[in-house]
Amino acid sequence: MQFDPVANMQLLVSGLAFGSIYALVALGFVLIYNAVGVVNFAQGEFVMFPSYVAVSFILPAVTVFGTVVHWQLPIVGVYVLVLVLMTGFGLLFNRIAYHPLRDRGWMPVVISTIGVSIFLRNAAQLIWGSQPIVMPSLFAVDTISVGPLHIRPQDLLIIAVTAVLIAFQFFLFERTTLGKQMRATAQDRATARLVGVRVGRIVAITFVYSALLGTISGLLVAPLFTVTKEMGALIALKAFAASIVGGFGSIPGAIIGGLTIGVIETFGGFYISSAYVDAIAFIILISVLLVRPQGLFGERVAEKA
Amino acid sequence: MSAADQIAAAESGLLEIRGLVKHFGGVTAVNALNMTVRAGDIHALIGPNGSGKTTTLNVISALYRADGGSIRFDGAELVRRPAHAIAQMGIARTFQNIRLFGDLTVRENVMIGRHVRTRVGFVGALLPGGATAREERETRERALELLAFVGLERTAGASARSLPYGDQRRVEIARALASEPRLLLLDEPAAGMNPAETDALVALLRTIRDKGTTLLLIEHDMNLVMSVSDRVTVLNFGQHIAEGPPADIARNPDVITAYLGGTLDAA
Amino acid sequence: MNRSKAGAIALLVVVLALLPAVVHSDYLLALCDTAGIYAIVVMGLGILLGFAGQLSLAQAAFLGIGAYASGWLTTHLGWSVWPSMGAAMALSALVGLAVGYPCLRLSGHYLALATIGFGIITQLVLINWKDVTNGSDGMGSIPPPAIGSFVFDTYGRYYYIVLVAVIVCAYVAWRIKTTRVGRALEAIRENEIAARATGIDATRYKIVAFVLAGTYAGLAGSLLAHMTKFISPDSYSFDQSVVFLVMLIVGGSSSISGAILGAVLLWFLPEVLRPLKTSYIMVYGAAVIAMIVFMPRGLIGLFEGVRARFARRSPEAA
Repeated sequence: MQFDPVANMQLLVSGLAFGSIYALVALGFVLIYNAVGVVNFAQGEFVMFPSYVAVSFILPAVTVFGTVVHWQLPIVGVYVLVLVLMTGFGLLFNRIAYHPLRDRGWMPVVISTIGVSIFLRNAAQLIWGSQPIVMPSLFAVDTISVGPLHIRPQDLLIIAVTAVLIAFQFFLFERTTLGKQMRATAQDRATARLVGVRVGRIVAITFVYSALLGTISGLLVAPLFTVTKEMGALIALKAFAASIVGGFGSIPGAIIGGLTIGVIETFGGFYISSAYVDAIAFIILISVLLVRPQGLFGERVAEKA
Repeated sequence: MSAADQIAAAESGLLEIRGLVKHFGGVTAVNALNMTVRAGDIHALIGPNGSGKTTTLNVISALYRADGGSIRFDGAELVRRPAHAIAQMGIARTFQNIRLFGDLTVRENVMIGRHVRTRVGFVGALLPGGATAREERETRERALELLAFVGLERTAGASARSLPYGDQRRVEIARALASEPRLLLLDEPAAGMNPAETDALVALLRTIRDKGTTLLLIEHDMNLVMSVSDRVTVLNFGQHIAEGPPADIARNPDVITAYLGGTLDAA
Repeated sequence: MNRSKAGAIALLVVVLALLPAVVHSDYLLALCDTAGIYAIVVMGLGILLGFAGQLSLAQAAFLGIGAYASGWLTTHLGWSVWPSMGAAMALSALVGLAVGYPCLRLSGHYLALATIGFGIITQLVLINWKDVTNGSDGMGSIPPPAIGSFVFDTYGRYYYIVLVAVIVCAYVAWRIKTTRVGRALEAIRENEIAARATGIDATRYKIVAFVLAGTYAGLAGSLLAHMTKFISPDSYSFDQSVVFLVMLIVGGSSSISGAILGAVLLWFLPEVLRPLKTSYIMVYGAAVIAMIVFMPRGLIGLFEGVRARFARRSPEAA
């Protein structure tokens, strides 16, 4: 195969865009993991469900519960509406799937989040049927030309929004009281409680924040894929892999892990095998875990006895 | 060579620690430690909080990997062997923050302690009767004997988690003894015990020693240390500062300084 | 095991053995066969998760490996069914060893994710390795087993093969649980550091558990292939692994009877929920959350709790 710099640049942009989505979802995983010590297996449904809600309001005609609706609201307004709905969803999720199990170790919570995932995926099928739905993009054109490159504007939007959210993330954690309380909770809940942090509230906020990160990822990625009940699951698994590759629990690790996997996957799918493209993330993951179990950026977990 | 090194080199013991080093990140928890535990002794390891006592025990039992130095047990090097191999060589231990198999019964906990003294594997498990049944029966009986020995025969069927704190510590001792260790490591065995329980513990430790097991224990209760130990090693900042019979240790000015000028009784 | 419990199990086996004499619906018998096969998969997971405390989400992948190994050997190489079943188990065990050895250095969430990754890779291989698996079209014409001229070609006949397999698997799991190996596994689950300090080679025992879980699933996969005579990759998905996990948790993870009960009940649950049509899996998801919140030890835990209460009320009964 010939080395083609233009094609490689286009692959890089596309890889960074997918990587950004993985990074955002991975960030959601890490924030929840740091706050409550549990991996949320319903994170993919935080991506899928709001995408469905959004297309229902955006498209001229969508079948909901077997009847065709014609809401067709302006896209930006729908984005806001979905974010508001998902705030409520994050609170509810915390209340039902995490809060009752918070003192019972990690496995019951993992299983209950798996339960939520099953519930939402099949609720989506019940509500919207099993036909994939195409989400329109904010942009009128599919690709734009930048010099010799043909680039999807949606890719650029994804990268830009992700960059803004990452900047916001660092601002939140470094500069605001809320962020500092979130960090304190993540580091040591007992001590955080002692110094007056309302841990329960911080945990609830973390779930909401994580749900919103998923929502934004969904709204960004849905125009590139179709909206299906399975769309979140694979994104979430790869994002989870990304967060471990980067070093689980590390926020920079989640971001860099996500971008790394997005880029390698896009190049691998192009140059090696498109059939096994979905295996690439996991091959990277298993290799990293074997060579460097703490991930690329994670610190070795302190030995405890 | 320091005076302590010379003493250590002159005597050969069951457990010989030479130049042991353990770092955590930038912190040196154990710094070139030398120490000898003689066979048949109750040997106490004392020192202020953070002086590296528990770390030393964890390195001996290979829960931590040593960053340098040597630990010889009856002549065999322990460093770089995995934890289960150390146990198989005849070193058992208890934990400061009790680590029982909480959901299992007290008897099962002690039966698991017999692991290194029993053989039935996967194939044996599928063949009931014969050697499997015999070993199973012996394991059960031995566990009950040990529970009687530590005074817990009545709670054999209770879940380990449901026991009071002091009893849990005794289950840990019974579990450790089940492996018939030559060296028993005890990390604060009296913590959380009332005076009556502590007295019973002292008697128990002496009986264990008299039956031929060497004991290395960490303890904060100085009355207990002074009354039960044959030898005491004092650590400070991960280093050996004194070693000798308890009476000498109590008069050692370095030791008294290490305990912030206080008397040992108060510590 | 006390005498009354042994008697109850013997009675249950007799009742189960007589079932095909009463049930004549092919559809119901096929459901019963599948329920038994899933019980084997879930028992295997019970050894790994319930006994040893290691969460794997690759159980469906091992089911697929067993099914395809058996299907390929009989249709491509013309092996007869029984040696193919043995080979399917052996292959699953070997894959279990090869995957378990690196993965079990990980724990908790990391292990769960590594096994998910393995499951997804396995399914992609089943879909894309068309020379062997025939890809998404699936593999058909898999022969049923026979003894002499007696062919197990009806669901009623096949039922007895499944029943024997379930009994043997339950027996093996019970023997493991009640002897030294099982205690070592439970020690690892309860406190791995203490288990290591007690002389248990935790890595080795975890691998043993992983291999056993794989072997059980491999046998089940083979049984499934020769029962349905047709296999395709979509049955061996991550979602199916989740279903097995849910079956185990609902039944009661560290109990063998719980594993069987969970598998059978949740396999038949969709039949009961049939009036709900497409929403039944949604109800299933909600049931999982309710179960884990309100019944931490599963159905078996609930059952034992009720029995213990009765035992306390009537001391002479004990």
